[in-house]
Amino acid sequence: MKFEDAVKKSIKAFMQGKTPRATDEMSEGGIFHTPEYFDELEEMILGEVKEEESVDEDV
Amino acid sequence: MKMFDAPIAGANYAADTRNYPWHRPPDIVDYDEGVDYLITKMKEPDQLELVFSLLEIDAQVTTVVSSLLMQGISRGKFSIDLAVLMAGPVARYISIIADEQDIKYDMGVGEKDRVSITPTSLKMALGIYDEEETLEVLEEAPVVAIPEGGLMGAPAEDESASEDEQAAMLGMVEEEEPTDELA
Repeated sequence: MKFEDAVKKSIKAFMQGKTPRATDEMSEGGIFHTPEYFDELEEMILGEVKEEESVDEDV
Repeated sequence: MKMFDAPIAGANYAADTRNYPWHRPPDIVDYDEGVDYLITKMKEPDQLELVFSLLEIDAQVTTVVSSLLMQGISRGKFSIDLAVLMAGPVARYISIIADEQDIKYDMGVGEKDRVSITPTSLKMALGIYDEEETLEVLEEAPVVAIPEGGLMGAPAEDESASEDEQAAMLGMVEEEEPTDELA
């Protein structure tokens, strides 16, 4: 398997909500950068953008 | 001849493997630390411009992530194994910032075959490369004449030495015994 194929497989798994289990078990409080974290980050960043757009429309 | 293409036995013990960053222990071994490093790196203006530019010329997110990870590996920042693990979060972050900037992108994890990005295709997409110009250059390439004569030149057919001369050059002729001039 080529490096690019491994990267593609890893991205696909992460997008399906899977996280590296062994790495998660090894770290004390579990891993921080989970799919849920990025969902919240997306909401926060894109939410801010939508708010800015609605403010512009009101003005 | 193939047996001579292999490295000399024990060459690995003699080579200085500390010459390359990826031969030394990586700087980052923690998953979260690595993801943080890449996200911070991507926030740099030049890196951000590069990511957006690649996405705008229809490069897939997987290709962009691969190149970012390869960059880190080549600099000895993290190992290949950790890089593969970090690919998911990095791709997700790129998708978020691309959405924020209203840039359309293809994740590249679908079943359809991807078009590989090569230096030539990138040059063509950026308008650096002119196909017609290159074809003209190829057509006009001068034909180099084979030099004749001189020590290093190819010998002409009629210039080859006679069989006696060749035998003499190879030392296959019996040398004449020196005659004693005093006798």
